[in-house]
Amino acid sequence: MDVKLEGINKSFGQVQVLKDINLVFPSRKFITLLGPSGCGKTTLLRMIAGLEPVTSGGIRFGERVVNELAPRDRNIAMVFQSYALYPQMTVRRNLGYGLRVRKTPKAEMDAAVERVAAILEISHLLDRKPAQLSGGQRQRVALGRAMVRQPDIFLMDEPLSNLDAKLRVTMRAELRRFHLDLGATTIYVTHDQLEAMTMSDMIAVMHGGIVQQFGTPAEVYGQPANLFVAGFIGSPPMNLLAGELRGDDKPTFASPGLTVQLPNLVAHPPSRDVMLGIRPQDLDLVGDHEPADLRGRVWVVELLGSEKLVEVEYAERKRVTVQVRAETSVNVDDTVGVRLNARRAHVFDIKSGATLRS
Amino acid sequence: MRAGFTLSDRAVGLLFIAPFLAAAIFFMVYPVVEAIRMAFYSYNPLRPDLSTFVGLRNFEFIFADPLFWDSFWQATVWTLLSIVFQTVFGVAIALLLHQALPGIALFRGLLLFPYIVPTVVIALIWRWIFNPEIGVVNYALQSASLIKEPIYWLSTPSMAMASTILLNVWKYTPFVVICVLARLQTVPLELYDAAKVDGAGVVRRFLDVTLPQLKEVLIVVIVFRTIWTFNKFEEIYLLTKGGPGTSTFNLAVYSFEQSIANLRLGVGAATGVVMMVMLSIGSIIYLRVSGFGQDEKSP
Ligand SMILES: Nc1ncnc2c1ncn2[C@@H]1O[C@H](COP(=O)(O)OP(=O)(O)OP(=O)(O)O)[C@@H](O)[C@H]1O
Ligand SMILES: [Mg+2]
Repeated sequence: MDVKLEGINKSFGQVQVLKDINLVFPSRKFITLLGPSGCGKTTLLRMIAGLEPVTSGGIRFGERVVNELAPRDRNIAMVFQSYALYPQMTVRRNLGYGLRVRKTPKAEMDAAVERVAAILEISHLLDRKPAQLSGGQRQRVALGRAMVRQPDIFLMDEPLSNLDAKLRVTMRAELRRFHLDLGATTIYVTHDQLEAMTMSDMIAVMHGGIVQQFGTPAEVYGQPANLFVAGFIGSPPMNLLAGELRGDDKPTFASPGLTVQLPNLVAHPPSRDVMLGIRPQDLDLVGDHEPADLRGRVWVVELLGSEKLVEVEYAERKRVTVQVRAETSVNVDDTVGVRLNARRAHVFDIKSGATLRS
Repeated sequence: MRAGFTLSDRAVGLLFIAPFLAAAIFFMVYPVVEAIRMAFYSYNPLRPDLSTFVGLRNFEFIFADPLFWDSFWQATVWTLLSIVFQTVFGVAIALLLHQALPGIALFRGLLLFPYIVPTVVIALIWRWIFNPEIGVVNYALQSASLIKEPIYWLSTPSMAMASTILLNVWKYTPFVVICVLARLQTVPLELYDAAKVDGAGVVRRFLDVTLPQLKEVLIVVIVFRTIWTFNKFEEIYLLTKGGPGTSTFNLAVYSFEQSIANLRLGVGAATGVVMMVMLSIGSIIYLRVSGFGQDEKSP
């Protein structure tokens, strides 16, 4: 079932936390709400769940407006960050709670619980209480409780944030797999861009209560709509260099120490003060005597395993990060050249932050 | 380090708790031991020189005394009804005060009122309130034409019992409210959200989320309130003096009457010992049955 958010606003008292959200989440897709802490992700999710009233605007599931429906009537399921398992109930009763409340016949309920427990591989835990489970096991029970009712829409609020790094990676893949098997629309909240990139069909990048960009992971990574998205998505983060545009027909970016032609820029940019964005992967180190766009001194070198991050200082207190293969031999204080793949460069208007790419 | 007079950490620690220990021994341990000792003696406070060891005779006396058994049953009724009402009202009021309504803080503050006022004052005020001729209760009921004749609140046996229970409930419900309110504020809100999404209505959310979270605090509150109510002396004595007749005697009043009015301190002490044993056994059984301390904390 697709989810439509039409002109959603939300205020707590005088504070407006969500501003004019217009989104359509297509049916059966895995959609992620991604943004820094406090940007209103949880609030938006809770409004979709019906746990928080909408100040103005409409929420539709399919064609049905659900604004006034109680959570229980929306056929949704939600996984909470703290898991929110009922501590006095066994895992079995936790899983079956939603069915029991809805007066499902016992045989049917038991079958559904056993089925979900088998899928999640927690059958052996059914008679324990939540306090006797590990964090990862609790997480599975919370997931199972959501799956057992076969909801139309699956809501998850940072379900992996309490797990250790290794388990998080495993669970990412599993969640994606469950999503495909269940055939429900999943709306997933996270502030971890890696989770968003790896799991989602669509990502809504949020900041300050506003949706900055809504698109596929490839789109938000490859064509960031504005400075915020450019800086937020991608690890290591994109290099952002302030400068100005020259020349109307063949636009050229110029800043102290760097002049570069930009082939895919719109012909007549509305503004002259711009920010050039280039990912560390799209920069390359060259020897001191080869032609280069930038020259500078190596400031610091970080080894990531198969890659190295090299920070190069090309002008007073101006640095760019270059990602190179780990084998590349480079030392602090070497003088190096940096070559820039101009086709991959992004240009943003400094004032509005919007991209100037065609 | 400076040479000379130094103490080990352990000795310093002991030194710090010594004053409390001394006070506790003098004011708590000694009286209890002394009371237990006295339960086996015949002791007339006017003739301490005639004090003699009588073995179990004091216990034989009270178990054969119909007034002891009346007092026991009356104490049981008074305790049970007081606790039931206190708990029900306490939880209900705590749930109300837990709502985030404007001005609710004022009402939370007012809760402490029955605590601030000494029992003596409260008992005297309630005697006026219950006064059949000029008390406000009868006045109100008569004005509303609910009753024609004044009710003799403190001088008919059943009404006197009801009045003492009312006073106790009024005074100690706030204790329950405070304990429950404190616990309510720590219940994770996500549990309620989860229950809402699962489809639980208001009643089920209370039964499946709130009540289990309150279980431990209610067990503790009920144990303490039971012990304190069963032993209660001053409220009954100040309000009715155990009367009319002996209709509001409980074991504490019985013990007091035996010791002070009848000058049989040994019998009074024996009553105290019996109460202590009963309450200990009762509490232990209750804690076992209710599974206190075995429950899982919310993860
Ligand atoms: N009940 C509330 N009353 C008032 N303000 C609130 C309330 N709930 C949230 N807010 C505010 O709304 C804003 C968005 O909060 P929200 O919880 O949606 O952020 P979030 O994006 O989920 O952040 P995080 O990643 O830290 O969970 C915050 O500034 C927060 O202070
Ligand atoms: Mg949040």
